[in-house]
Amino acid sequence: MEPIDQIMQHDHERLDQLLEQGAEAVSQGAWPEAAHLLETFRHGIVDGHMAVEESTLFPAFERQKGDEAQSLTALLRKGHQDLRIFFEEMAEAIQEQDAETFDDLLSTVQTILKQHDAKEENELYPILATALTDHGEAAGRRILDFEAEAES
Amino acid sequence: MSEYHGCELLEDLFYDLDYVWVRPEEDGTLTIGITDPAQTMSGRLQKARIKKVGTHLEAGRHVATLESGKWAGGVPVPFAGEVMDRNEKLLEDPHLINIDPYNDAWIARVKPDDPAHALDNVSTGNVAIAALEEWIKRYGVQCMRCSE
Repeated sequence: MEPIDQIMQHDHERLDQLLEQGAEAVSQGAWPEAAHLLETFRHGIVDGHMAVEESTLFPAFERQKGDEAQSLTALLRKGHQDLRIFFEEMAEAIQEQDAETFDDLLSTVQTILKQHDAKEENELYPILATALTDHGEAAGRRILDFEAEAES
Repeated sequence: MSEYHGCELLEDLFYDLDYVWVRPEEDGTLTIGITDPAQTMSGRLQKARIKKVGTHLEAGRHVATLESGKWAGGVPVPFAGEVMDRNEKLLEDPHLINIDPYNDAWIARVKPDDPAHALDNVSTGNVAIAALEEWIKRYGVQCMRCSE
């Protein structure tokens, strides 16, 4: 199995591609396909990626770094909270076949994700292998299981 | 007004204890904006989108989205209601939020569906100020206000 930092980084790339595919479907007016792709993306990022980070990775980082971790993990948790609302709003825009609102939301979400992912990849992921007692094997396995589920 | 880490905090406003302040108006609408520490954390704002007048929003949904070179995020409404007015000046110049977040740079006025309970999920006075000081510490914010 790949190291945990690589697994998480690759999951970012996979999720970015899913979001792009959803946006492409919206631009073509393929609304049912767009709804399916966005739900696949939402499930992967909210129930998979973010859930693993919030339940396992952030607490491990906080244990390792102590007080100095607080501002980073607070910011990342806040980012997740904001993103969950944006994903609901994007799903509503698709349901209402409102491409203009979807595109506005997409632009904001992609900006948030770009900055959020860079912070995680530069400041959080590099220390996970030492912060987690199993070097991230269980967390990595959960992410890989989600990826396999999405492909099946 | 109190000040903490350079951030101005007004005791008479209501706060969601995150980004948003709320001010009750005489006509029953509630004006919404973002706080001084929130505008500092966002950086120099370059883009603002505000929901159109007449839009209905459920509690927690975004009445506006803001973007700077280093940050993007939403402005959630703490109660359900209809957008009655929006600050058109911000669409042209979102940087006004960095200059005067509590006055000229209000974002929207929203008429709550249930006026009696519209402020149930926001705090005011000393309780709010103490919670916002914790917020400022948590995110390590040191406020700076732009003059132009």
